[in-house]
Amino acid sequence: MPGLVSYIIVSAALLGIGIYGLSVKRNAIRILFAVELIVNAANLNFVAFARYMNPPKLSGQVIVFYSIAAAAMEAAVGLALILVAFRLNSSIDVRKLNKLKG
Amino acid sequence: MDLSVPPDITFVVLTTITLLAAIMALQAKELIYGAISLGISFIGIAGFFVSLDAPYLGMLQIAVYVGAVVVLILFTIMLVRREEVDKDETGETGESAAGLWLAGLLAVSIAGIAALAGPNLPTTPPEANLPISQLGAVLAGAYPVPLIILALLLSAALLGALVLAKVDR
Repeated sequence: MPGLVSYIIVSAALLGIGIYGLSVKRNAIRILFAVELIVNAANLNFVAFARYMNPPKLSGQVIVFYSIAAAAMEAAVGLALILVAFRLNSSIDVRKLNKLKG
Repeated sequence: MDLSVPPDITFVVLTTITLLAAIMALQAKELIYGAISLGISFIGIAGFFVSLDAPYLGMLQIAVYVGAVVVLILFTIMLVRREEVDKDETGETGESAAGLWLAGLLAVSIAGIAALAGPNLPTTPPEANLPISQLGAVLAGAYPVPLIILALLLSAALLGALVLAKVDR
């Protein structure tokens, strides 16, 4: 099994990919992908840190359990919002969703 | 990271799958392939969970993310018009480069800090015996209230999504 550092580096890379998508992409569904990737990077860190604790703790896994459920909710509500935005605007390009702009 | 020991083959394979699929998820030309790549990336993360002695989480990850979230995304893609979905969506070159810099800087700084702290971080995990039954005991024994709140929250989110997506006639 590799050291804890390896897991942190993988998680950081995943976070970087997610942040890139979040800041560059314009398609709302694509942005949701990026958010899910960031959540997964955080989950990986939780499990890895909990496993490498001495003695290993289960609390990290419990947190990830809640996090997965929360991410599922977020995806459901987010996709419903995207559908509503598409119905109202006939576009899911986030730069075109500027109805709140004065 | 101790470079003198040969890298763990499972770890390398999982890392490659997860990161490549994550990049593909964001860069694939067609959104539907992106969604499938996202599913593959989630499966890679599930593999990490299994390799970290958390098989239950690995199963949950596949059931919830690959089974529910990715399928939900695929259905949404089908409900949104096609030309809208596959439109060229990345911003101007400058914008894209700025995003790349931001993400790269963030990831490299975190990885750098971790590598600097490397000597103080554990390299081998302690011996562990973490049965699933114990996870259940912790979940229901030590954190019963969050579990119930989570259930309520899930129903609320489901109802909210229904209300949002409902078409008024």
